[in-house]
Amino acid sequence: MNTGFLQSVRTLVALKPKQKLTAQYLLSLVIAVALAFLVGAGIMLLCGYDPIACYTALFKGALGKPRAFGNTLAKAVTLCLTGLAMSLAAKAGIFNVGGEGQLYLGGLAAAVVGAGMNGAPAWLIVLCSLLAAMAAGGAYAWLPGVLKVKLKVNEVVTTILLNSAAIYFCSYMANGPLKTSERGIASGTASIAASAWFPPLIRLSNLTSGVFYAAVITLLVWYVMTRSTLGFEMKITGTNERFARYGGIRADRLAIWGMVLSGMICGVVGLIEVFGLHHRFLTTISSEFYFDGMLVAMIMRYQPVGVILMSFFFAILNIGSSAMELSAGISSEVMLIVQSVIIFFMAAEGGISDMLRQNAAARKVRRAARKAEKGAAA
Amino acid sequence: MSEIFNLLLLQNTLRTATPVVLCALGCLMTDQVGIMNIGVDGMMLMGAFFAVLGSYLFGSWLMGLVFAIVLGILLGLFYYAFSIKFKSDEFIIGVALNILAGGLTVFLLRTLFGVKGSFSGPGIVPLPTITIPWIQDIPILGPILSGNTLLVYVSWLLVLLCWLFLYKTPLGFHLRASGEAPEALRASGKSPERMKRLASVLCGILASVSGAHLSLGYLTMFSENMSASRGYVAVACVIFGGGNPPRVFMAALLFGFIDALGMRMQKYIPSDITSMAPYVVTVVMMVAVVLMRRRKQTATL
Repeated sequence: MNTGFLQSVRTLVALKPKQKLTAQYLLSLVIAVALAFLVGAGIMLLCGYDPIACYTALFKGALGKPRAFGNTLAKAVTLCLTGLAMSLAAKAGIFNVGGEGQLYLGGLAAAVVGAGMNGAPAWLIVLCSLLAAMAAGGAYAWLPGVLKVKLKVNEVVTTILLNSAAIYFCSYMANGPLKTSERGIASGTASIAASAWFPPLIRLSNLTSGVFYAAVITLLVWYVMTRSTLGFEMKITGTNERFARYGGIRADRLAIWGMVLSGMICGVVGLIEVFGLHHRFLTTISSEFYFDGMLVAMIMRYQPVGVILMSFFFAILNIGSSAMELSAGISSEVMLIVQSVIIFFMAAEGGISDMLRQNAAARKVRRAARKAEKGAAA
Repeated sequence: MSEIFNLLLLQNTLRTATPVVLCALGCLMTDQVGIMNIGVDGMMLMGAFFAVLGSYLFGSWLMGLVFAIVLGILLGLFYYAFSIKFKSDEFIIGVALNILAGGLTVFLLRTLFGVKGSFSGPGIVPLPTITIPWIQDIPILGPILSGNTLLVYVSWLLVLLCWLFLYKTPLGFHLRASGEAPEALRASGKSPERMKRLASVLCGILASVSGAHLSLGYLTMFSENMSASRGYVAVACVIFGGGNPPRVFMAALLFGFIDALGMRMQKYIPSDITSMAPYVVTVVMMVAVVLMRRRKQTATL
């Protein structure tokens, strides 16, 4: 590629404002969050709860104590990683909705390898489990990626269906062939050697040293997306696919890579859950974590920095909502409703602001016409 | 073997396929106007909840159905407003709708009924089963064709009606045109937006009613997340069917067959494996359809 080509590509990228987080977009985000909280307050009032007490309990529950804060941070890490996984694939032009299944398989692979290496040094256990988790998650994402690229099979549908398949498969393994003989474990695999566990950073909280692995991955993803050739190719393909093709970028290969990398990250999320919290694979390892992260990614238009920041906010809502249920009494699902309202507004942001702008312009024209009429009458 | 492969298997196939058939017909409507609505799964879940609510509050299955239909219309309009009017990404709206459905139904379940997990009870009136006097006496077909719940028959009728509507009526023609050639439709003085709204509302009604069948016909209860990705299977069925209602119906029947077969195999095979089967088979079918089409194309070349 010569510099002239790169120059023209840069101008093309700059021309596409939709891909960026503009100031107007961020303002809309603030308004959307405020509106969503109002909707939530309305629901609380309807059900006979005091919204102010509920929201206070929410924020206190998420940030009030060191332990709660640790849980919130841990949740933010999960959201951030899954959100980045989604962003990476989306930027490569393919939707990975199958992160949940990849997470399960990654967790299972990590737990099996980790438990199988009992006696080995801790770093070796972690390293091998990491490779296993990435291989499992990546391979399970590769399949729908290839199907999409080679056969044009819709990846949204296949990844969603493969989620259910993977979750049932893991449940079968954890209840059947890989079931631990330990008592008191309903459906889980054998335990990993305690030396390899990720120790908690804040006592009794879910925040473990897994956060360092997450930080490394986050940095890597940020680097890949914004600084590497791969990221640059993604950007061009996302902006103008035909142009990218003429420039010699192979969108097929890019999509498959995006998918595989995305799956690998999801696999590592599974590993962090296993090594940090449960120390074995349990069938309850995730409750739709990937979908939460996916929404964060969508709201922030797949921009890594935005995803990282938004993860904290959604983590507060997520962790705070259970505390809110305990102290204020309202069912925690009200926050799921609030979150989906934010998403609806942000997805419609472009359309709504266009409409408002058109209305304002029409009003201006009408006002001008009226003025002209008055002037003519005088 | 005779324990598994008998008449009851066919009957179960029809019963398990029905929600997918109804939902897939709904999906087909939006598919024809060029929208892939993956929010049908959430619409199905909400339909299931509101059908139970209506049936419980009024002690009548008809009111359950009315609740589901009204909800379906509202959801259809909502979906239209966001995905067409506000030009949002239809995929994001679909996912958000599914999340909303999960949150809203659980929230209402706990706030209105004060239960967690599932709600069942004598207060819920299920959809009636219909026995057809002459047909039920036919030796083999009788028990299969007769004695099903109302919506099973409605779904069969709807397959035919949808086909007639899409391919034999002017309105259906306009509807398809709004997806394939919106500019041509506009040039002929019809509004593609209006057609898309119609498709979206029809989709909402069908998806919501499919949920009503799930909670009032197939079972008589509502449980959290009871749609269990059936909406996505319906989307897959529409992809196989390629716009043809009878073919979509066959795809849904195949799904129902695998599902019903799996339930009867649970004695011999772990239930997790049998639950996995329909999803795996659906993915395999999606691939097979593409490969078959491709072979046909190379054959004609």
